[in-house]
Amino acid sequence: MESYLIAISIGILIYMLMALGLSLHYGFTGLVNFGHVGFFAIGSYTSALLALQGVPIPLAMVGATLLTALAAWPLGIVALRLGSDYLAIVTLGFSESVRMMLQSEEWLTRGMHGLPGIPRMYEGWIPAAQIDLAIMLTLLAVNGAVFWLVTRVVKSPFGRVIEAVRDNEVAVRALGKDPARFKTRSLMLGAGLAGLAGAFQAHYLTFLSPEQFVPLITFYIWIAIFVGGANRLLGVALGTVIMVGFLEGSRFVRDFVGGISEVQMASVRIWVIGMALILIVLYRPQGILGTKAGKST
Amino acid sequence: MELIPILNAVINGTVLGTLLSLPILAITMVFGISRFPNAATGDYMTLGAYTAVATQAWIGSSLVLAVVSASVVTALIAVFFYLWVFRALAKRSNVARLIASLGVAFVVRTTITFFAGQDQYNLEMGRIMRAWNWHGIRILPMDVYILLTAIGALGIAFVILHATPLGRRMRAVADNPDLAAASGIRSRRVMLYLWLLSGFFCGLGGVLLAIKAVVVPELGFELLMPMFAAVILGGIGNPIGAVVGSLIFGISQEIATLYVGPSYKIVIAFLVLLVLLLFRPQGLFGRPIMAR
Amino acid sequence: MKTQQPKNTSRRDFLSVGLVLAGASLAPWSLRAAPAGQPFRLGALNSITGVGGPYGVPMLEAIRLAVDEVNAAGGAAGRQLQLFAEDDQTKPDAAVLAAKKLIEVNQVQAVVGIWPSSVGLAVMPITNNAGLIMMNTCGAPEMLTENRKGLAWMFQASNAVFGRAFAEVARQRGFKRPAVMAFNNSTFVGLANYFKETWEKDGGKVSSMVIYEPNQTTYRTELNRVLATNPDVIAMGSYRPDATILLREWYQTGQDCKFIMPGWTANEALVKALGKEVTEGIISISNVAASGNPAYKSFSERFRAKVKHEPDVFAAQSYDMVIALALAIEAAGPTADIAAINGQVKAVTRHGGEKISSFAQGRDLIRAGKAVDYDGASSNLEFGAHGETVPDFGVSEIENGKLVLKETVPGTR
Repeated sequence: MESYLIAISIGILIYMLMALGLSLHYGFTGLVNFGHVGFFAIGSYTSALLALQGVPIPLAMVGATLLTALAAWPLGIVALRLGSDYLAIVTLGFSESVRMMLQSEEWLTRGMHGLPGIPRMYEGWIPAAQIDLAIMLTLLAVNGAVFWLVTRVVKSPFGRVIEAVRDNEVAVRALGKDPARFKTRSLMLGAGLAGLAGAFQAHYLTFLSPEQFVPLITFYIWIAIFVGGANRLLGVALGTVIMVGFLEGSRFVRDFVGGISEVQMASVRIWVIGMALILIVLYRPQGILGTKAGKST
Repeated sequence: MELIPILNAVINGTVLGTLLSLPILAITMVFGISRFPNAATGDYMTLGAYTAVATQAWIGSSLVLAVVSASVVTALIAVFFYLWVFRALAKRSNVARLIASLGVAFVVRTTITFFAGQDQYNLEMGRIMRAWNWHGIRILPMDVYILLTAIGALGIAFVILHATPLGRRMRAVADNPDLAAASGIRSRRVMLYLWLLSGFFCGLGGVLLAIKAVVVPELGFELLMPMFAAVILGGIGNPIGAVVGSLIFGISQEIATLYVGPSYKIVIAFLVLLVLLLFRPQGLFGRPIMAR
Repeated sequence: MKTQQPKNTSRRDFLSVGLVLAGASLAPWSLRAAPAGQPFRLGALNSITGVGGPYGVPMLEAIRLAVDEVNAAGGAAGRQLQLFAEDDQTKPDAAVLAAKKLIEVNQVQAVVGIWPSSVGLAVMPITNNAGLIMMNTCGAPEMLTENRKGLAWMFQASNAVFGRAFAEVARQRGFKRPAVMAFNNSTFVGLANYFKETWEKDGGKVSSMVIYEPNQTTYRTELNRVLATNPDVIAMGSYRPDATILLREWYQTGQDCKFIMPGWTANEALVKALGKEVTEGIISISNVAASGNPAYKSFSERFRAKVKHEPDVFAAQSYDMVIALALAIEAAGPTADIAAINGQVKAVTRHGGEKISSFAQGRDLIRAGKAVDYDGASSNLEFGAHGETVPDFGVSEIENGKLVLKETVPGTR
């Protein structure tokens, strides 16, 4: 039972890192990023490929985080030219392009065959039975550190500017600050977080394939931050827990409610998510913990 | 560069582009008037396709009846969701409506799969006919029917939009929402007609797609991204832009398939879009947008 | 505030983990081996949703049929089979969680019915670590190399074997200019590459090879690319939705061409989708024993009664998984642990024993002390050194809407 709970926790914590990054993008800077899974993918594959070449895992993960943040830079240059409607599509195109590239460049990524045998985190350092526990604890610590970091960033002068960019870009410009630079930096920071999450995924699953990085993942993260409250970090954490908890928990519902086949259960699960989205937008748009201040939806 | 494969690709892209211009028109009108990208468009198309299958299964195997019922049912469902969800969100942000539409998309799709399952369905179309072959340039009879139906529907749409007072009001709102709001145009009737039309076209597009391909749950959702890209290409809120954007996208993708691997054709389409947006952020036919 | 939590959690966790380990070492037998008469907990990890949906659902039905058969006969070695089923959504990350739930919460002792290679490769380390038997229909050759503990059993021939068989069939039938079209996933890209490799190794060239993307509305341009090179046969690695679109569009071109397709796509469901004219003459390659074996006949009868259509090869393989496992449990005895049961899987299916085609038949012979050879509904189930099956392939043609067996081609390692 424990191993199962640990596995779920790891899933939650990896998603939480991604969600923190997206909340930086949308909750605090007002950037509508629908391509977040693309950063997740870049981080995953970079760390995996580096580690497969012999680079020690901690270094590979750091490298992956940095590379992902760098990859966000050109996207940032594009972001500054486009309004939110367009940014959503362009970022979605970005993540799909990343996925297509992962599928096609077999010489690098083995394409659709995937990358098996990725070095597992802590392999050789900790007895095998304890590794998942160690990974979970590491993720807890990292998430804690990122929480602290993002809180500091948000309270810093930089943070105040990006919130201003979210609320009133014209005013920011009038004050002589260039919104573009701040948007780009915010984008890079959030992307780096997603990249770090991806690196964890690679060294936990030890198997990567392009099918793991579909836009649906981005949508799940969006739902998570929306349900919890996009501009409050605790809300983001809560939203992720609820989201993953629901997706996993719905398995057990079938054990209690007879008469529904597995096929139908899959439909019911997503149906409930859809209804939850509709109802939350209609009746509690700030999410469970979000504040009405900030990006009003 | 051989001419014949290119011509065939252009023909294929034209049929696909014209077919898809129906839901794309729906997207652009909703985007222009209600100011949000309707993520449920794809699943409205899927609804149309499944409705057609159900009609053939339970009522009669007439293809025409299936097409009509698909469009009508989808139109009604679209109005239903407008009345329940989108009307209440009229004063909120774009993102809120976008996320709500995502919820609607999930609900529509899973309601279908709850009853229909995940496997594929096919529409009954009678005997499959061979293409007309003219020196290697091939045209399929079924494609011609699809093309004529789509053009007919587009024609009606343009007549409504340009020749009726209601249509003119819709275009005005789509074109300049602030001015329209100031003059109080955005009325209940405009919205109802908008969603009726939008739903009708999504359903029609879905069943035409089903004729050309197969009916699977992901039928519409898979097309969301290229459709949105075409909307932006053509300029948000502009009906002509929607059709032109759809054609450009359809044709360029087919031609790209000839030269680049099929995986990359969507990437190329996006690069085209990106480049265009950097030079002309309002799309081909849109109005210059103000600073956001 | 955040830095405190990890310490408390870890302390509590280490304590509880330590207690569990201590408890386990004190128990006279491990948690997994059960005393006589205890039910055998069987996990089914199927692709109910996602790309594999059309195949995963019938696979689960077949598993249920087999479980019912075994339990009706009194269970394996007197142990009733208890089935727990989960959906992997045809995705490795969802599969990992589903597998963990089956293993940790439902305490299953074997995981069967895994369909895609991506899931198989992601889940195998988990089942290996837990010391569990794993049975699948994955075709990636890596499944063999990653099968380090010998606990995994591949009921579907690997893509390499399939690709080679395709090439062999094409050659035997005298085709000179084959082309290849394949769905972009690991299985079919693998099959396409092996086909090309095998064909070109014996001289000759593949006129065109196109890997196409899933979920498209039309494949005309991809098809035209291939048809422009005038192939006499197209080896098609496709699933039913894309095969339907492709074949319909091909028929409309009027160009003459034959098709070689895997049996799980070129079957009666495809005929139903396309009609007899379009599917006339398609060459369908399947594991042999599909029509011949009595096991298949009895299984397909029950399957048809329940599901109203013919089972595909994956369903037949899933049925075989449970029967073979049950026979192994029977042979190993009621107190055997998983390792012992695993050791019997080859023994009950190996050539040389008395041929059987149902669980009850095998159970009686085993109890009488005889060696048995279960020839399954999907193939004769001769497992190689790495748990792989290398079946003979039956080559059928679709004639007037029905599959007609023409010849067999041996599989080569």
